[in-house]
Amino acid sequence: MIKIMRGLKYICVVALVFFIGKMLYGEASSKALIDTVEEAVVSSMDVSGMEKANNRMVKRLYGLNANDYEGVCLYISSFNMNVEEILIVKLKDKSQGKTVEAAAENRRSTQLTNFDGYGVEQCKLLNDSILDVRGNYVLFVVSADAKQAEKAFLKSL
Amino acid sequence: MIFSSIFFLYVFLPITLLLYFLTPRQGKNFILLIVSLIFYAWGEPVYIVLMLFSILFNYLTGIEIEAYHEEWEEEKAKFCFWFAVAVNLGLLGFFKYYGFFLENLNAILPFQIPYKELPLPIGISFYTFQTLSYVIDVYLEKVEAQKNPISFGLYVAMFPQLIAGPIVQYSDIEKQLKKRKVSLLKFGEGTTWFLRGLGKKVLLANNIGMAFDAIAAIPADERSVVCAWIGCLAYTMQIYYDFSGYSDMAIGLGKMFGFEFLKNFDYPYTSKSITEFWRRWHISLGSWFREYVYIPLGGNRVSTLKCIRNIFVVWILTGFWHGAAWNFIVWGLYYGVLLLIEKYILKNFLEKLSGFLKHFYTMFLVMIGWVFFFSGSLGEAWSYLGTMFGKSAAPFFDATARYYLKSNLWILLAAIVCATPVAYRWFRSFAFSKGKHKVGISVLLYGAVLLLSTAYLVNATYNPFLYFRF
Repeated sequence: MIKIMRGLKYICVVALVFFIGKMLYGEASSKALIDTVEEAVVSSMDVSGMEKANNRMVKRLYGLNANDYEGVCLYISSFNMNVEEILIVKLKDKSQGKTVEAAAENRRSTQLTNFDGYGVEQCKLLNDSILDVRGNYVLFVVSADAKQAEKAFLKSL
Repeated sequence: MIFSSIFFLYVFLPITLLLYFLTPRQGKNFILLIVSLIFYAWGEPVYIVLMLFSILFNYLTGIEIEAYHEEWEEEKAKFCFWFAVAVNLGLLGFFKYYGFFLENLNAILPFQIPYKELPLPIGISFYTFQTLSYVIDVYLEKVEAQKNPISFGLYVAMFPQLIAGPIVQYSDIEKQLKKRKVSLLKFGEGTTWFLRGLGKKVLLANNIGMAFDAIAAIPADERSVVCAWIGCLAYTMQIYYDFSGYSDMAIGLGKMFGFEFLKNFDYPYTSKSITEFWRRWHISLGSWFREYVYIPLGGNRVSTLKCIRNIFVVWILTGFWHGAAWNFIVWGLYYGVLLLIEKYILKNFLEKLSGFLKHFYTMFLVMIGWVFFFSGSLGEAWSYLGTMFGKSAAPFFDATARYYLKSNLWILLAAIVCATPVAYRWFRSFAFSKGKHKVGISVLLYGAVLLLSTAYLVNATYNPFLYFRF
């Protein structure tokens, strides 16, 4: 009898570990609205030199069709010589993550090529940029405040 | 679901009482357990899994430890006990402190460890302490293991004290789970406890809380010294009426179902020392730490140095129990230091002071302590304290302070009077003394509390409960 009880107890613990694992990684889709995530990210950093871009700009810079996604939000630098950027994408389907990730990687390497050789600060920011795919959300941020932005992004999901 | 809500008062509670009293004695625990699980799942549909885990795991552990004791297998009993302690503390630690731990780690690491902050399961701090008390008592052979899973489930999940205590130690309730007296007199007594708690929560705490929230929202550099003190006083009253009101409602509900819970508050703001304050505030938590941490560490029957260590351990843990933030740890340490100073330095000096001065000294320090408690961070706490002591550029007194003083004067005065036994003593002598119409007047007064609270709850959108986050 005691053996059965002990077995049951360990089964309980294993089930708990699975439950916690599922809470942490299984349920990766966030129900957070893109506006909420945008507000959290933007308010965590200095965006005074940036402006919100429209869907055409998303297509031009990233090659992404905003309508294919649940929501897209892009902030770009107001000056050509600056590289600060924030891209937040809410995916309709998690499989779209790879496309968005590739688009962000592509954008980063294009910018690195553009500034290579003379824009030391810009290249540093691009090298330190953060690309984070979390379930149905993607964040790409090029900024001195990238870490804070990522933290706010994760917290808002 | 909270007790001070229309749904609870007029739907959940009447149905529960009806079911409970219609069920034969043998089935009452089962009904109460089911209702308690529904109550919990209402607000926490996902985390009910944790609750069920906690019940099953600790139930099995208790029986296993007892079986090892009976077979003289002490090593196995010891392993089983420490495993259960680790699992219970691990569960609490993970859900309450994992975000805090990673946040602090990320602050010092050159890279970020991504993490998903999980919402805190309601009542986890309370029910984990209850299950720990059970496992410890069974291991120390102070109580017998509970063989009936329904009785044990009810001990862990009983809805009156599930969300915000009082933290019931198993030894205090063991017999009542098997046999308890349900009577009309006890039911009536429970109703009065519940209504007093409801009045404290809805009529006093919620109204004073609005004043505090408004003052706290004023930018730090625009908040005058007097305004900051009014805010601090408002919070001092709000947290007392909020938490003690909820505890009174829990005790009242317990009585309605035949249970006797120990009181959790005993007019703490009448204390004349910090030591006395902590004998009167959140009594069940203090007892838990004394019983399961302070005494096992040696209590005060050890060298002075070890006693100081024991006090610090208990107070750091008390602070940390309240929340995963540095301001709570500092709050706990603050009390640890104050208690040590009283114990080793101020004891004789305090005894010579007049009652008024002792009371003033206590309340002054308690109010300072609440600043750490209500602030979102340590920085905010220092800033607020700076304003209270004139360190900011804001004036000493301004029109805002005058407005809040004027608009909250009466409710603050009422709150101060009701925080002493005077008001209740007067009410008791009036309502329960023999007289022609006294019973009627007493019923009328309690009825008025219910009516006013209901009217407030129907209209108000502000109905927070501060201890939910613990």
